[in-house]
Amino acid sequence: MMTMVKELATELIGMFFAEKRLAIAVLAIVAVAGSLVDFAGLNPLVGGAVLLFGCLILLIESVCRAARVGAS
Amino acid sequence: MIAWSTAAPAISAAFLASLVEVVEAFTIVLAVATLRGWRPAALGTAAGLTVLAGIVLLLGPLLGRVPISSLQLAIGILLLLFGMGWLRKASLRAAGVIPLHDEEAIFAAEAAELSERAHRRQRNLGWAAGITALKAVLLEGLEVVFIVIAVGAGRGLLVPAGLGALAACAVVLVAGAIVHRPLSRVPENTLKFGVGVMLSAFGVFWTGEGLGIPWPGEDLALLLFAALFLGGGLLAAALARKLAVVFA
Repeated sequence: MMTMVKELATELIGMFFAEKRLAIAVLAIVAVAGSLVDFAGLNPLVGGAVLLFGCLILLIESVCRAARVGAS
Repeated sequence: MIAWSTAAPAISAAFLASLVEVVEAFTIVLAVATLRGWRPAALGTAAGLTVLAGIVLLLGPLLGRVPISSLQLAIGILLLLFGMGWLRKASLRAAGVIPLHDEEAIFAAEAAELSERAHRRQRNLGWAAGITALKAVLLEGLEVVFIVIAVGAGRGLLVPAGLGALAACAVVLVAGAIVHRPLSRVPENTLKFGVGVMLSAFGVFWTGEGLGIPWPGEDLALLLFAALFLGGGLLAAALARKLAVVFA
């Protein structure tokens, strides 16, 4: 029973943190976007743009890095 | 009355994502049923669905107590992590960097493991087979529950999103009953790519809403985000394909 609960917990964490580097980078982008909206006094859409384009750049970088590592 | 422009993305995301998860669970339940009979497979599936229903009944009412902006932010971040993970993997599979998900291979591996257990010990094998089915239903089901909550909770669309997931279950069950073998012809990577795009778009949308960003065009901004993630995923796959050749 405990083994199954452990497996379930591992799977659940893996759902969101399978690729740790990407997950940490996404959390960092969210923190930066949130800081821009809440503390920098900029137009909130600047934070929105950072969030959207930051995530897109992270995605492309993560896929390309995996391709380089996987192929070498 | 729910507007279709709001409900359609949530329903289709829940349907397509659930389709992928239910196909994966079905493959394992079918392997159990083929090797040990339908009784442990059905019992394991029923037990898995019961545990899932318990989790939903236990946690569901708590959602209503969380302030909407906190809920949007938490769900948005989880969706970003989950959706971008799927999109990353689907892009790498599309580029040929990692192998495609193969339902026939998973069926064979699951069947081999159960057969090996049968050789090791005959007793309690029905129990082990039932547990295997339970685990598959529970694990894939948890992902379905998360997706339904994630795409539905922010706008009061839990029921339409849930119906989308139920429709996916019905489609897989009917198709599985007809072909009676793993559903290997489902274009899983294309589905995962599409779902990764939609979940990432929802993730940016809800995270932004939770942070207090007033998206221009409101719900229509989701379409722009989805188009950008689709382009980003395709570009990433194309670049990965080239890099894999250069660094090979």
